[in-house]
Amino acid sequence: MDILISSLVAGLLIGSVFALVALGLTIIFGVMDIVNFAHGEFLMIGMYTGILTVQVTGLDPLFSLPVALAVGFALGLLCYVGFVKYLLRGPMVAQLLGTFGLMLFLRNLVLLIFGSEDRGIHTGILVGKSLDLGMGVIIPATKLAAAVLSVLSFVAVYVFIHKTKLGKALQATALNRQAARYMGIPAERMNALAWGIGGATVTAAGALLVNFWSASPYVGLLFTMIAFAIVALGGFGSIPGAFFAALVVGLITEIPGIWDFFTYTFDNDWMADVPMNSFKYTGVYLTYFIIMVVRPRGLFGWKL
Amino acid sequence: MEVVRNAFDFSDFPKTDLLVVGCGLLFLLFFPLLPHSTFAMATMIQFLMFSLYGMGWNTIGGYGGQVDLGKAQYVGIGAYTTAVMLIRWDVPFWVSMPAGVMFSVTWSFIIGYPLFRLTGHYFAIATIATSLVLKDVFEVWDFVGAARGLEILATKYDAVDFTHLIFENDNYYYYILLAFFLLGILIINWFRHSRLGYQLRCIKDNELIAQSLGIDVHKSKVKTYALATAFVSVVGSFHACYIKNIEPEDTMSLDLSILIALMAMLGGAGSLWGPIIGAGILIPLKSYLKEWLGASAGLVGIDLILYALIIMVVSAVEPRGVWGLIEKIRARRT
Repeated sequence: MDILISSLVAGLLIGSVFALVALGLTIIFGVMDIVNFAHGEFLMIGMYTGILTVQVTGLDPLFSLPVALAVGFALGLLCYVGFVKYLLRGPMVAQLLGTFGLMLFLRNLVLLIFGSEDRGIHTGILVGKSLDLGMGVIIPATKLAAAVLSVLSFVAVYVFIHKTKLGKALQATALNRQAARYMGIPAERMNALAWGIGGATVTAAGALLVNFWSASPYVGLLFTMIAFAIVALGGFGSIPGAFFAALVVGLITEIPGIWDFFTYTFDNDWMADVPMNSFKYTGVYLTYFIIMVVRPRGLFGWKL
Repeated sequence: MEVVRNAFDFSDFPKTDLLVVGCGLLFLLFFPLLPHSTFAMATMIQFLMFSLYGMGWNTIGGYGGQVDLGKAQYVGIGAYTTAVMLIRWDVPFWVSMPAGVMFSVTWSFIIGYPLFRLTGHYFAIATIATSLVLKDVFEVWDFVGAARGLEILATKYDAVDFTHLIFENDNYYYYILLAFFLLGILIINWFRHSRLGYQLRCIKDNELIAQSLGIDVHKSKVKTYALATAFVSVVGSFHACYIKNIEPEDTMSLDLSILIALMAMLGGAGSLWGPIIGAGILIPLKSYLKEWLGASAGLVGIDLILYALIIMVVSAVEPRGVWGLIEKIRARRT
């Protein structure tokens, strides 16, 4: 039983971080109908930002969050103004391959600067501490902190979009670009803002992850695919959808643990033989495929 | 008869184009006789392979406008079919290659049927997802060597073995691939003039109009997808015999899928010569940049940075690629 509950709790915790990862993608898609392949690379840069902040300033990893937010906002803005703006004139093929080029560029730039070895942070006040929930369920404090901070950031962005004037302008642009322009909303600047927020949130998620997920230049693609799956499941452009879908995807990545639980419970031989751990992320890809085929607008989607 | 006539009908190209193509063909035919390094030979073989991949992608991605980013899974199916059959049962290449095509096309029907209910971004990402699922399966499947992959031992065969397609000298590979390449050009040329080709171009321009003209859009797309798959699978089989060491990471990675799409797009998607031009530019650039900057200067990744910059500039400045540029210049002249 404890394996089952641990897996479920771990899934929900990592799912809350995934929500922050996918938030930027769904905002960018909602506002300007462009799929950003470099999304996971932003996260990877967030990880390295976290590591560098800790190494240079000697602060606790928890305090690298503001730095990551600032770096991510600047990076997103720079990518939009310097590159993505020009992609929008071309056909969809060009947009897909263009953001893919951006992904290759960022990945290899980091590879050139930092090398290909895995890096992580193993210091800080939270490392080694854990929270015992009883029944053998133990939550590492680093994961709990990452999840709580992710949810807080997510809620902050949600409130920003729904309560402030700027956020409402962003929403209006997503709903109907032409009508928003008639109301005097500068659509071009809203695009830039969407990229800024998108970059900031995903980079922050990277800085939160680095405490228990080792960083390497190649880590991005996995997160890009996870973010795609979440956004597809929650509905392209839907922010609450992204949150619930992220929890579901978090649970899907914990299927190996749940599988183990059933293997022990039923003492089943063939179940023990299935190498479930190798399929940790296959479920995520399959989810994307099935959702797209069965219900392309996702669970909460309004944009098709 | 009609099919053959269509395949050899190049009359809609201007004379200058055909002259350039003729010179290119002469160069390709006599390249092994010219003085060259083994590295240049390997690059040329890569160029021919990627031209063929690109031609396959071009049918569905260029003429049909459906951005497919999962072609690597068919490279994998082709390569693994040939390698497994050769290693386990000593099956000749000329049997295992059609078998690989058969498996690939069957798989393309299975996933193509649901896939083509999607369009645009959704389709592109879904093709990536299927490709990654298949890669994950191959990485744990012991029968095909799991993550270690398979290795064909060349020493078990003669120096010149036409039935298994194992050679010591690269020139043999080159000429066999060149034959495939010429055949590929003829097939694409046939496709251009065929009913299916016209249907697909109509779908690319406007799907609703295509439907109202009585075209079964879904069926045409699935059929063309199968054709594209066959191309890629054949080259995949060849890849197994040529490289002799296949792993899921090499043959089925997303990078390969994107590279295939990129070749066609850089050269000009939706034109006969586009993928060839694209491969002709990118492949030598990629391998020589890697040789000069990556291996010699010790700057890991700088070759791919330059490469990524080219992708970014092309997609931002001229999304129709080199061929689009040529056509633009021509239109200005007349």
